[in-house]
Amino acid sequence: MAVVSPSAGAHPVHNHLQFNRVGLWLFFFSESILFGLLLSARFFLEGIEREHVDQHLGLAITIVLLLSSVTAFTAETAIEHDNRRVANWGLIATIVLGIIFAAGVGFEWKTAEFTRHEAFGTVFFTMTGIHASHVISGIGILILVWVQLLRGRFSGKDHWPVAGAVMYWHFVDVVWVFFYPALYLVK
Amino acid sequence: MQKPMQTGLIVAVILAVLTIVEYIFAVEVSEDTVRFLGLTIAALGKAALIVYYFMHIYRIWRAEEAH
Repeated sequence: MAVVSPSAGAHPVHNHLQFNRVGLWLFFFSESILFGLLLSARFFLEGIEREHVDQHLGLAITIVLLLSSVTAFTAETAIEHDNRRVANWGLIATIVLGIIFAAGVGFEWKTAEFTRHEAFGTVFFTMTGIHASHVISGIGILILVWVQLLRGRFSGKDHWPVAGAVMYWHFVDVVWVFFYPALYLVK
Repeated sequence: MQKPMQTGLIVAVILAVLTIVEYIFAVEVSEDTVRFLGLTIAALGKAALIVYYFMHIYRIWRAEEAH
């Protein structure tokens, strides 16, 4: 009778992390296609023209989102070094800043001087709406990770969920880096 | 933890400066093509900084948790 080693057929544990990372980057790639198409639709429909938008609000929510990337980076770096207290506050700050960003987009929608029936309105509400839905799902993911952190999970050697959630948050930030000038600054 | 945090803060300051420069550039420059090119370059630069320093794209093929 053949003796089967307990590890036979299983991938080494360290490979799982590699699979997770590659899988997440493939997900980002597929999401980039969606956001890239939205961006090209914006320029196809309106060229570099745009309607009046609240410049100060646009700049403010952009700074808030960039700041949230810094706090997310702080949380990830802290848990990598087993500093749970700083990781905790980093995640809380990121969640709060994300909520402020989403509220800012909501306010922009409420006060917009154009409607969804105009070409610019269509692209503006679609682009900011889909992006905001990613921000809200990112907040949800960060809350789940934060709750796990409070329950004592994660350490310097095992923190992939924090790293994955934070990477997703940075991706949402990268998307806004392109959406902000396309919607607020051109023309 | 000090070294990565220091790098993160430097990147954050560069991102903030680029965002302000982007805004002033958009408000001050009246030539459409120049403004569009400037904004595109600034956005690509900011995205590259985030993808490299914050998303750690260089770790993609690493098997172990990285510090």
